[in-house]
Amino acid sequence: MTGEFRRQNKIALFLMMIGLILSLIIMLLPLYTFRAGVFTKKSSNTFYGDEKYLAARAEVEEAAREFESSGFPVTITEDALERTNSKGETTSLYTFTIEQTFGRNLFAFLRSPLASGHVFRFLLCTAVLTLLFALLGLAGSIDTHPKYLPKGKAFFRSASVISGVLSLLSVPVFVMLNNYTFSRKLSLYRDELIEDGKEAFYTKLDSFLFNGTAGDQFESMVSKLEIHRSGLLWLLLPALLIMLVAAVEIRHGAVKNTLLRMAMYVFIVIVSVITVYPYFVMLITGLRSNAETLDMYFLHILPTEWMFSNLADILHRGVARYLLNSLMVAGGATLIAMLCGVPAAYALARMNFKGKKVFLGFVIVSQMFSPVVLLIGISQLMNTLHLNNTIVGLMLINAAFNQAFAIWLLRGTFISISPEMEEAALIDGCGTVRALTKVLIPMAAPGIVTALIFVFINAWNEYTISTVLISTASKRPITVGITQFSSFNMIEWQYLFAASLLATIPVVILFMSIEKHLTAGLTSGGVKG
Amino acid sequence: MNRTKWEPYVWLLPSIILVAVFVIFPILIVFRLSFSEISKSGVIGGFIGFQNYVDAINLPAFTTVMKNTFWWVVSVVGLSTVIGFIIALVLNQAFPGRKIARSILILPWATSLVIQASVWNYIIKYEYGNLNNILLNLGIISRAINWRSSYQIEFVWECFVGIFVTIPFVTFCVLSGLQSIDPSLYEAATVDGAGFWSKLKNVTLPLVKPSLTVSTVLNIIYVFNSFPIVYTMTKGAPANKTDTMITYLYMLSFYERKKGPATALSVIGFLILCVCASVYMIGVMRNEEAA
Amino acid sequence: MKKFIALLLSAVMMVSLAACASSAPAPAASEEAPAEEAASEEEAPAEEASAEEAAEASGDEITLDVIICQYGPNTNEWFLGSGMDGTNFVDKFESENPGVKLNLEVVSWNDVYTVVDTRIANNNAPDILNIDVFANYANDGLLMPVSEYCPEDLYNDFFPSFIEQSVIDDTVWAVPDLASARAMFYNVDMLEEVGVEVPTTWAELEDVSQAIIDYYDGEVYPWGIDMTTDEGQAAFAYYTWGNGGGFVDENGDWAVNTPENVEGIEFALGLIEKGFTNPNPATETRYDLQDMFAAGKMAMLIAPNQLPTYVADKGGDINMATAAIPANEGKTGSSVGVMDRVMAFKDDSAPDQEARNEAIGKFLKFFYDPENYVGWVSMEGFLPAVNSAVEALVASDPSFEAWLDVLASCKFYPAAKAEWDQVKQGVIAAEQEALTGADIQAELDKLQEELTQ
Repeated sequence: MTGEFRRQNKIALFLMMIGLILSLIIMLLPLYTFRAGVFTKKSSNTFYGDEKYLAARAEVEEAAREFESSGFPVTITEDALERTNSKGETTSLYTFTIEQTFGRNLFAFLRSPLASGHVFRFLLCTAVLTLLFALLGLAGSIDTHPKYLPKGKAFFRSASVISGVLSLLSVPVFVMLNNYTFSRKLSLYRDELIEDGKEAFYTKLDSFLFNGTAGDQFESMVSKLEIHRSGLLWLLLPALLIMLVAAVEIRHGAVKNTLLRMAMYVFIVIVSVITVYPYFVMLITGLRSNAETLDMYFLHILPTEWMFSNLADILHRGVARYLLNSLMVAGGATLIAMLCGVPAAYALARMNFKGKKVFLGFVIVSQMFSPVVLLIGISQLMNTLHLNNTIVGLMLINAAFNQAFAIWLLRGTFISISPEMEEAALIDGCGTVRALTKVLIPMAAPGIVTALIFVFINAWNEYTISTVLISTASKRPITVGITQFSSFNMIEWQYLFAASLLATIPVVILFMSIEKHLTAGLTSGGVKG
Repeated sequence: MNRTKWEPYVWLLPSIILVAVFVIFPILIVFRLSFSEISKSGVIGGFIGFQNYVDAINLPAFTTVMKNTFWWVVSVVGLSTVIGFIIALVLNQAFPGRKIARSILILPWATSLVIQASVWNYIIKYEYGNLNNILLNLGIISRAINWRSSYQIEFVWECFVGIFVTIPFVTFCVLSGLQSIDPSLYEAATVDGAGFWSKLKNVTLPLVKPSLTVSTVLNIIYVFNSFPIVYTMTKGAPANKTDTMITYLYMLSFYERKKGPATALSVIGFLILCVCASVYMIGVMRNEEAA
Repeated sequence: MKKFIALLLSAVMMVSLAACASSAPAPAASEEAPAEEAASEEEAPAEEASAEEAAEASGDEITLDVIICQYGPNTNEWFLGSGMDGTNFVDKFESENPGVKLNLEVVSWNDVYTVVDTRIANNNAPDILNIDVFANYANDGLLMPVSEYCPEDLYNDFFPSFIEQSVIDDTVWAVPDLASARAMFYNVDMLEEVGVEVPTTWAELEDVSQAIIDYYDGEVYPWGIDMTTDEGQAAFAYYTWGNGGGFVDENGDWAVNTPENVEGIEFALGLIEKGFTNPNPATETRYDLQDMFAAGKMAMLIAPNQLPTYVADKGGDINMATAAIPANEGKTGSSVGVMDRVMAFKDDSAPDQEARNEAIGKFLKFFYDPENYVGWVSMEGFLPAVNSAVEALVASDPSFEAWLDVLASCKFYPAAKAEWDQVKQGVIAAEQEALTGADIQAELDKLQEELTQ
């Protein structure tokens, strides 16, 4: 047995070294190419050889000389765009550019004061540390079963895995930061869309690109900086992944299970991020000022000023009242739907009678029309019952429209629970109702909770019927209430999203408070196979 | 046990009344309207036989809309079922942070469709959309991308939002089904040497199937009838090319004011749904009997 | 389980059969029978009297159901909250007009047709409605002629050219509520920087657009086009009116497929194709265009007179000016006016028609009273529809005067024609079809054929 671990560990160590060497080789390649359009001059309505052209050309050549005198070899290009307009006149736009091209390998970032420099140093450190920690963790215990390692050895081996993960994660961060710094951030400063920290940033950029020699000419030198990244850079990922897998092998012995578990976490994180994303957008947009909601230059991810006054504004415009109405509609609808649905599901699960299947089909069929289509009928019905413009009317409609799901789901849950327990209760002298409430319902908690949430959420989100049925502003549910933020003249995104976010909170609170019942309930009961 | 002959019906009565009055009655009115003349502003006239149906089938956009509806239902129901099922399997495992993960995953459902559609609409805007903002400022892209450059892509986005909001429904249906599986069955299977896939195939799937069947049938119905996503994101533009049946008949009724054909179309949709739901259930149940 | 499916299908059959049965026009059928409902338009059945109406009958109070559309962020507050100097329209009206109660609803434009049409289908139309269209309601005999309820002095106060827009068969069916006029706005600084003049013809518009594209490397859209499902008819108007075409010919008959119209729309499509416009005209709404203009990403666009207010609200700092909408060489363009209306529905179940008409009159008097109306119109930056408001508005904002001149020369949509909805959606669909590659001539021919059938 021991020999097996020794062999495995040796192979892993070998792989890890290969991974590190590969990474270092990749880093030596000149992966980044910079093309600094040192200087650009535009001149409109200019024709070759005319006065304007000569003046512009002279200006450009003067600038080029100045660059060359400070020791930068440059090239001048000119580009003429000629067009003939509808009146037969020819117009033209001349663009003169002075350019300079140079390559950089990743080690050039080692002494870069820019943020991506920090990330690169971190990347390099973690990659080396992965190997180092692995060596420390293996020293003297290369034969030991990974489960029975002494504490110190286990610690080093874990540290090696963590380093491996961190180095892997730094690669995309590094690439993203470079993209951001050399194109986006620079262009924001250049177009004077942001001001703060310009000096410091330019100094750092100068020191990285031109060894700090550009000085005064720097601004014109980066006036048109293009950065090109070779695709080979992504080879770093497999190289580092080899190191990580080897580190996992050394730590746990069983690579497959650990990697599967990691994959599960990655999956959960990805799904969660996508899910939370629109809510993040609602949050940051809901707390922006009206002016900032249309940030066409994409200056800031977060609001520059957090407008908590938006919340006060929407509350002033009736949102609290609408939320209360929605709460009543959804709560009432849930109650009615359960009061009608639970007995029906119980009868359908436990009793045999004529018309059982007809009824089950009937509730499904009742779902097949969209409320949008049924508006006229519903509104006519509500008029007849004098329930027009009432919250009770909305409760009943919502309860009815959610019967099908409640009944089918609860019936399924009840069937899956053995009837023995209730029968015992019945024999003990309990009535059917008592047996249902005391025995069956607690055991069917997961199904009941799911049905409850379902009805509540659907009623909470109902929109079309409410717009037609409710004609008094103070009785509107939140879904209708927030339409006031998108009027003919303007969509007030910030209020719309702030109110929407508020409207989500009660549902989440409800869910979190009853979520534990999703897993409880069935442990005590026998289950039919 | 002694039950009187009436007892089951007494238990059913509240539900029957609720559904019959508040759902079936409006449905009957729709059926009646589909055979009536309806003026542009909504005044209901006399019986005109199948004229509305003839008009509905002859609508120029009928075929496009039917095709869209098919793809809409198939992609949204299909993908949300697969993804929702996988998520449910994951969430059924015990892991630290599970409660938070579950609460997060219910979020798309906890917000009304109008809002979800508005948010995504805002997110994928070319000019000031948040997606471009985030990707630019994270350095993932270096120029803003036109996320909705053609109507085909817009339709894909609509399907994406549809899937996004439908996943929680499937997940929680499956989760409630998974909860009712006796853990001892898994233990027995493990003792028998069954691997992950074999347990999934032989234990999980058969036992989750009933709740999955119901949720899928209802899902087909809900997705078919889903209105706010398409209406909020494109209003069917350009020229009904992103419309599904339900948004098309809404536009027909309230924008073009062809209310008669719109009502007839809604009945046609109902019949299609009936057939589809029945075919699906027959298919599932035949498999079940065979198994 | 097959049995179950069979039962499911038979349940469906039952439902449909029952529906067919009840759809037969049986004269002795229940209240919901269609025949009777249609008839009840003309007669005066007091069936299904709503709770409010019952109250009306018993006391002297009259309750008017009013639907107002949501124009801007302040509309709701002004009518129902505290946006009218601490009070609101409803409270102020009720305190000044004892005996008349308002059940006033502010509905978003997105939902208003749904709400109104559904209520009409249930004989439950509002008493007073503020909306853009009126022809369908008038043609279905649902509206009261304005002369029955509008006080004489108020009637004479409306701009006559506006009143004309609401006439069918020599009867005035609605009064104008407010208006907006559209003109071309341009970014003065931008045009100066590029070194071009403000375009007045289509050819110049193309030249200027090309110059802007070249100068800004495509970072700025020279021109804005909105062909969305909500506003595409406006684009149709801009480019056909600017080419001597339009929705109707000189006799007032529909003529959507004239060569002028086709040429006009093809010009607009050409601008899009050449990349002179915003990239997604079928889904980018007027808000998007105005946002782009406010952020300095769009150089020129056709927009309503509220644009400066909008830009200021959005924090934009644009040096803008207006000019006439460019027209084709040798043609005169015309500015485009959009007008909304207020109309009153018949209610045969009202116990005292005269008192009801009087109450509606009181509502209109109160609404158009300069003391209230000026605040309403200027709050959202609209243009007035009555003479008595002009003075106060001009005093508060001198730029109004220029807009009133524009308004005087405006063309309006032919909204009084019965097929207007169909034409509106038809031209939008044709534009959008053309955007996805269809032939505009063929599309407009199809629409014209449908209209002349």
